[in-house]
Order: sequence, then C-alpha cells, then structure tokens
Amino acid sequence: MKYIKKVLGEDLRQYTMVVALIALIIIFNIASGGKMVTSSNFQNLISGNAYVLVLALGMLMVIVIGQIDLSVGSVAGFASMVMAITARQFNLPWYIAILIALAIGMIAGAWQGFFLSRLGIPGFITTLGGMMIFRGGVIWISNSISVPVPSELKWFGAGYLPEWGPAFTGMNNSTLLLGIIAIVAYVIAQMKKFTHSGDVTGKKEAFWPFAVRIGIVAAVIGYMTWLFGSGRTGTSFPIPGLILVILIILYYLVTERTSFGRHVYAVGGNKSAAELSGVNVKRTYFLTMLNMSVLAAVAGILFVGRSTAAGPADGTSWEMDAIASVFIGGAAVSGGVGTVIATMVGGLVMAVLNNGLMLMGVGADKTQVIKGFVLLAAVAFDVYNKKSRG
Amino acid sequence: MKAKKAVSLFMTAALTAAALTGCGGGRGREEAVQTANAPAAVEETAEAESVEEAEPADAEEGAGTTSAGGGIVGVALPWLGTQNWAEAEVMFKEQLEAAGYEAIIQAADQKVPQQQQQIESMIENGAQVIVVGPVDGSQLGSVLEKAKDAGVYVIGYDRLLENTTGVDGVVQFGSVKTGELQAQALLQGLEELKGEAPYNIELFGGGPADPNAPNFFTGAMSVLQPLIDDGTLVVVSGQTDFTQCATVDWDNAKAQSRMDALLAGNYSDIEIDGVLSPNDGIARAIITSCENAGQPIPVVSGLDAENESVEWVWSGRQYSTVAKPTNALVAETVSIIDSLISGNGMPETDVTANNGVIDVPVYELPPVVVTKDNAKEVFADDPDRLALLTD
Repeated sequence: MKYIKKVLGEDLRQYTMVVALIALIIIFNIASGGKMVTSSNFQNLISGNAYVLVLALGMLMVIVIGQIDLSVGSVAGFASMVMAITARQFNLPWYIAILIALAIGMIAGAWQGFFLSRLGIPGFITTLGGMMIFRGGVIWISNSISVPVPSELKWFGAGYLPEWGPAFTGMNNSTLLLGIIAIVAYVIAQMKKFTHSGDVTGKKEAFWPFAVRIGIVAAVIGYMTWLFGSGRTGTSFPIPGLILVILIILYYLVTERTSFGRHVYAVGGNKSAAELSGVNVKRTYFLTMLNMSVLAAVAGILFVGRSTAAGPADGTSWEMDAIASVFIGGAAVSGGVGTVIATMVGGLVMAVLNNGLMLMGVGADKTQVIKGFVLLAAVAFDVYNKKSRG
Repeated sequence: MKAKKAVSLFMTAALTAAALTGCGGGRGREEAVQTANAPAAVEETAEAESVEEAEPADAEEGAGTTSAGGGIVGVALPWLGTQNWAEAEVMFKEQLEAAGYEAIIQAADQKVPQQQQQIESMIENGAQVIVVGPVDGSQLGSVLEKAKDAGVYVIGYDRLLENTTGVDGVVQFGSVKTGELQAQALLQGLEELKGEAPYNIELFGGGPADPNAPNFFTGAMSVLQPLIDDGTLVVVSGQTDFTQCATVDWDNAKAQSRMDALLAGNYSDIEIDGVLSPNDGIARAIITSCENAGQPIPVVSGLDAENESVEWVWSGRQYSTVAKPTNALVAETVSIIDSLISGNGMPETDVTANNGVIDVPVYELPPVVVTKDNAKEVFADDPDRLALLTD
C-alpha cells in the first residue's frame, strides 16, 4: 500500500476516474468481442471526440473561475460557418480561412468577456445570450444550408500523419517517432524531478518510485503508440488527436506553471481574497472567456474538417458535453477546483461510453440515459469522498 | 479503506489490459474488405488474426466478418421522429433478416456527430454495406471516405449524400417528380373545390438542410409558375423564393407560426384557397393555423401519407398527400444490397446526380398521389393504413 502511494503520489483519489476509464475499455472490449481495442476504433474515438475535449479544456478554466459558458457550441458553429462562407465566396486558401475562424472566436470571446468582467453580468446570463445570438447568427448567415469547407481542412478533422522511412517497424513511423519523443520527454522530466527532489528538504527521495513510474508510463505510451501506429497503412495517430495533445500540454503548463494559471484558481477559490492579494480579477475573467471562445473556434474547425462541410446545427449541445467532461473530471461547481488531466479523463470516459455502447448497437436513447447516470454517479462519488474526508 | 480498494481495482485493470494487448491493431489488416471475389466464409474473430500479416496491398481478400447466411449490413437513420423513418427501421430489420443478413440499425437523433460515430462503429463491426439516411447529406464526407477505404459499399437512402467520393449510389423517390405531383394535386383540388380562378395560394418548402427539399419546391414550381405568371394563381404574400418559403428542420411548429403570420398579414379580408405543403406534418400545421384564424380549410398538398394525414384526407380536411411507400424503397435498397453482396456490383441505372464531387448513380421510384377518391386502392396492400379508412 505504502509503496503504491509512493509511485502514484499521495492523492490516490484522482485515480478513481482513470480506473473507471480502464475498466470501461476492458468491459466494452470483452462485450463487443474485441472490437473496442483496435487501431481503427481508437483512431475513431480520438478523431470523433477531439472537438469535445478541446472545448473541455477551455470549459475547465471557465468552471474553475466559478463561471459557466453556455455559448461554446454556438460560437463553434458560428466561427466555422463564417469561415466556410467567406472561404467559398472569396475562394480563400485554407490558412486564411482558419485565421478567420480564430478571429471570430476571439471577437466572440472578447464580447462575452466584456459583459462578464466590465459590466459584471454573470457568465450564465452573458453566455445564454451569446448562445442565442451566435446560434441565430449561424442559421441567419447560412440560410440553414450546409456549406462545404476547403478540402485541405479535412486534414485537421480526419487527417493522419505522413508515412515514411523503413517498413520493418511494422507501424506508421511518424506515430512511432511521436511515441519515442513522448517517452524520452517523460523520462527527462522525471529524472529532473528526481535530481531536484532533495533541493528543498535536503533529503533525497528514493529512486525506485521514479523508476517504476517511468516504467508504467513508458509501457502505456508504448502500447498506445503501437495501437495507433499499426492500423491500416496510411493511418496513424490522428491529426485532431495531435492538435489535442499539443493543447493539453499547453494548457497543463498554463494552469500549473504560470501566474495566470494560479490567478485562475485563486479567483475561483476565493474572489475577494484573490482581489485583496493583488490578482486582477477582471483581467482573469476576461482572458478566460476570451480563451474559451478561441478554443470553441478551434473545436469548430476540427469538426467541420471531419464533416467536410459547416452545417447550421453544428455545435448544438456541445457545451453540455464539455461541461459534463469537466465535472466528471472532478471539478467543483463552486469553482477553484479541477485539473486539465482529470478533465481529459472525464471527457474520455464519456467518449468511451458513447463509443462502446454504439459498438454494441445500443441506441442513442439508452446511451443518453446511461451517460446521465454516469455524470450523476461521478459527481456524487466525488462529493461523498470530500465529505467523508473533512 | 477505500483507497486500498481502488488500488487493487487499478492493479487488476492494468493486468487485464496487459493481457488484452493481443487484440490491438495489426498493420495490413483491412477492416471488413469483403469484395466480390471473396464470398467464402472467413474466420470470424478479429483477435485471431496475426499481426504480422502480409503487405496491405494484397489484403483484398481480407478479413471480413461473415455470418452464416449473408453478411453484415449497417443502416444509419437520421432519427425515428417521423412515421416514415420509424417504419423504415422496422422494415429494414425485417427485410434484411429475412434475406439472411445481420442488420445493425441505428438512429442518430438528428445529430451529425452522433451519426458520424455510428457509421464508424458500423465499419468497426464489419459491415459490408452501409445504408445511410443522412441527418445532413453534406456533413458525412470524411466518414464515408473512411468506409470506402475500408472496402465498404455506401448507399444513400432517401436523401443524396453530397460532398464526398464515398458513395456508391442513392435510392430515393424522384424528388422533382414528387414536387410536380404535389402541385398537380393542389391544382386538381382547387378546380374541384374552390370554383373559378383566380385562386389565392401560399407556398411552403421543406427543411433547407435536406437536399430533397429544394427539389420538391423546384418540381412544384415548374407546374405552378406558369399559372402564377398568367394570373390563375395569386401568391398573396408575394413569397415565392425557396428561401422565403423554407421550413427549417421540417419543423411543424415553425411552419404553423409562418402560416399564422401570413394569414394575419395578408388575409384579413380575403380567403385563402390553397397551400402548397411539402409534407404531411407541415400540411396539418397549415390547416390548423387556418382553422384557428377562422378561414375555410384551403386545399393543401402533403407528402409521406402519415397515418394522421391519411385520416384527414379520408375525412376531407387535407385534400391530398403523396405516398412514398417506405416498403418499396426499403425493398429496392435490399435488392441493391443483394446484388452487392453476391458480387454483382451496383445495378445499372441511367439516372445520376452530381453531389458536388462525383456523379452518383440514382435509383428512383415513382411516388403516388393519394386523395379521398383513390385512397382505398393505394393502400390496398397496407393493412395498417387501410384500417384508418373507416366511415
């Protein structure tokens, strides 16, 4: 017991959802006769859910500051529709189109941030308004007709890494390279942590927990690399997944290592205390909302890339999926609590549930019911745990 | 202690995960490539396949999963919220299973991402043919191309699949023809019930996201426009563009509000004689709106022969509907599936439709106009609807 704690860190509770996730994958794999854990299904899982996970990254920060954003789906739909229409009308190249979508996201976020931070209108109201405005906007500008997007965008929503190099590896070498980079980076980070572990206390930690940790993580990454890389030729770890991973790393660093990240948690934990200790609350609110809408635009781009067209109903109820991911990941409704990694795990739990039930041919109606129960159970478990602790 | 429990669970899970490692990808394995030249039964389980299989190029004879009778057929429907889709679900199940196929039928609750994932899961489940009634015909591009890459045939059902190369054919009722029939039935009703011309009419279109909707409207207008031009028909509101007349999402409530507004704005001192309606739900919404406004019931067209509208046609409240017998459409689709799975490819057809990327073969069936006069004949083979025609 003590040894396991040493490897995983003191707070074992954060692993509950990881356990649930692994258990779900195994159960579904058995129940579906081995169709869950295959290269192509995992590729589907990632490309089909990347947009929700991207939204969840932004939503996490919004929820941590104690707000909520109901407009993300509509903003995603609006940004991608404006992109599709302008690109088609003026025959714009794809990179300009993407810049347009991101700009729309930024404007939308600034709009919401302004109402929240300057006028003090609660995020719920601001973004409820935003939800109607941008949804209406999508239908208005599109006349309710889907608009094809530049074909290059398909790469962002459903593309794969290039094939190159020797064939004897038996997998996609781009994926292999990424896997190796990930393992090396993790090893370096852990070694750094180990060498600095005695800096403050003067007492060096034992080496073996680091070694075990490295072993486990390397094995997981290695397996994932093989799983994603060994699919049909031409497939690899999906591009939307790669974009997601880059964003996860970025937001992990932002929330854990920057002063802005600390401000976000401080404002969410206790607004007045944060204000008194010199945190610019208005700025934090504004930037968090701005960031959310930019990520919504990114999610919109990923989705229309996969769909090859922007549709009038794009984004409908995406905010709910994002919010559910954050809460399943253990964030507190009152703000101040929640981490990037846990949110991603929460989102993956939802995604795996969806995917597994679909593989087993369970209808959308029942899936919805099950997802509702899982959300309730996860949050109830969390609340119960906190109560029994303090 | 709870933590202890969690850890032991975690360990078990990790171990099992390691044990399951064998069932992963396997480069060179083509998902369900069950092409014409490989009708023989192939090993069932995916786990059994060796990872070191040969180069993908010769994976053509593939590792598809084949059940005893025929093969696996996926059917992705947009939702089950209207009668024709609900019927389609039941009929596909019956007819596919009767023909010896294993049917995977899923409905997407009108959500595009849901449908994308359902189609992917059908590919994963080894479907050899996937029938797609799309939520939005142009938003399945990359998913259908994935199906094509996996060697799966894709047949559009009732709606065109646009903006993708991953479609092999579309089965539908001629949609322009449907519109023409609706307009002709409207004219016939006007002459029969509303005396001498000119007639005051209004026009309604279907959901703009459905590629059929503009075709219905175009077909109807090809009949009506000459008569509007010569003054026989008067569109009092002046709204004759599809975008003005369209009903977003085929939503009956939206159609009813539009009709309310049209009546309030244009018909305070005149009577409305007829309304072109693209389907039955919208037709009933229009009729209800007219009744609420104190107008005499106008001649209204329809589509789908929903039970409620069949009753209304029988009792004279709705003048006509157009039946697109789901049974016939499903039967046509299943016959194409037969041809594909037995290795004969897509049947011949001389009709094609451009989907924005390629020309797609279209298999069109003729729809049937239903009025009170011919209802008994049309539904002679349809006991459910025939039962509605009581006195």
